[in-house]
Amino acid sequence: MKSYDVVVNHKGFISLEIIDDMLHHLKIFLNNKESENKTLRKRVYSLSVECLDNILKHSDLNEENHELLDQYPPRFIVERIAGNFLIHTGNIVLNKNGEEIVKKLGDLNELDENEVNALYKKSLSNAEISAKGGAGLGLIVMSKLTRQKIKFDFEKINDKFSYFAMQLNFKK
Amino acid sequence: MKGLNIQAKEKSPKVIFDPEKKIFEMEGNSRPENVRDFYYPIIDILRKYFEKVSDKGDHESFNENPFKFSFKLDYFNSASAKFISDILVIIKDFTDEKLKIKVYWYFEDGDDDMKEVGEDFSEMISLPFNFIMIQRN
Repeated sequence: MKSYDVVVNHKGFISLEIIDDMLHHLKIFLNNKESENKTLRKRVYSLSVECLDNILKHSDLNEENHELLDQYPPRFIVERIAGNFLIHTGNIVLNKNGEEIVKKLGDLNELDENEVNALYKKSLSNAEISAKGGAGLGLIVMSKLTRQKIKFDFEKINDKFSYFAMQLNFKK
Repeated sequence: MKGLNIQAKEKSPKVIFDPEKKIFEMEGNSRPENVRDFYYPIIDILRKYFEKVSDKGDHESFNENPFKFSFKLDYFNSASAKFISDILVIIKDFTDEKLKIKVYWYFEDGDDDMKEVGEDFSEMISLPFNFIMIQRN
């Protein structure tokens, strides 16, 4: 029989404290799966950090729109299905940022593993740390570690915002 | 010159910089809440130290006992990776100035990604690393 666990299931406001709680819970779950490949467990943790950092960095866009947040809350879900992991994320982004993300993810999904690694090294050398503490490397790291195409979707909410959903798949 | 002795926390690594013993060590996890506030002072103190040593011009006596950098990291996020690469660039700059500096990159047995990320850094910055596999309980 195939095993299935919902490891984390969060829908709603996200803060640093909430992120720490989720990561703590995730770490305990992963540490209890000692029989599983260490690399996979660390990748799931690393990618969760990058996903949650991204959601948090966009959270300031939403303060002016509390009603929208109720309708389109940030989402972070980690599932384990027969030893493979699925991470789902969702958050509101500005339409203009959304266009940039679509372009970045589209380009990344065209690259093979070696090309993603080369892009990572180049981007790391040229990275600048933003005021919010981001290096702009999150999506590249996701592509590098999952070694899979990243599934994503945008739903336009209004002239200013869209809801961005992403799914990362880790095969054991 | 003063050193550094930063205790490890859940989200930030232990950092030791001892100019007298000529060691720099980072150990643990790195995803500090304010990554710039955490790393800028470290980078600043390292660059100033090596500039001072290099300006002094007595490379021969410095090189009798090479400076050792040890990276014993379990996990770091992408923003921390940028700052670790900045530290490695300082090392590279001063090895180019003919100062002897050794880099030790530790990784846990079975943690292929941590080894690979060290290999990537080493290649990117053209700086040789000594790789050391460790067993953690």
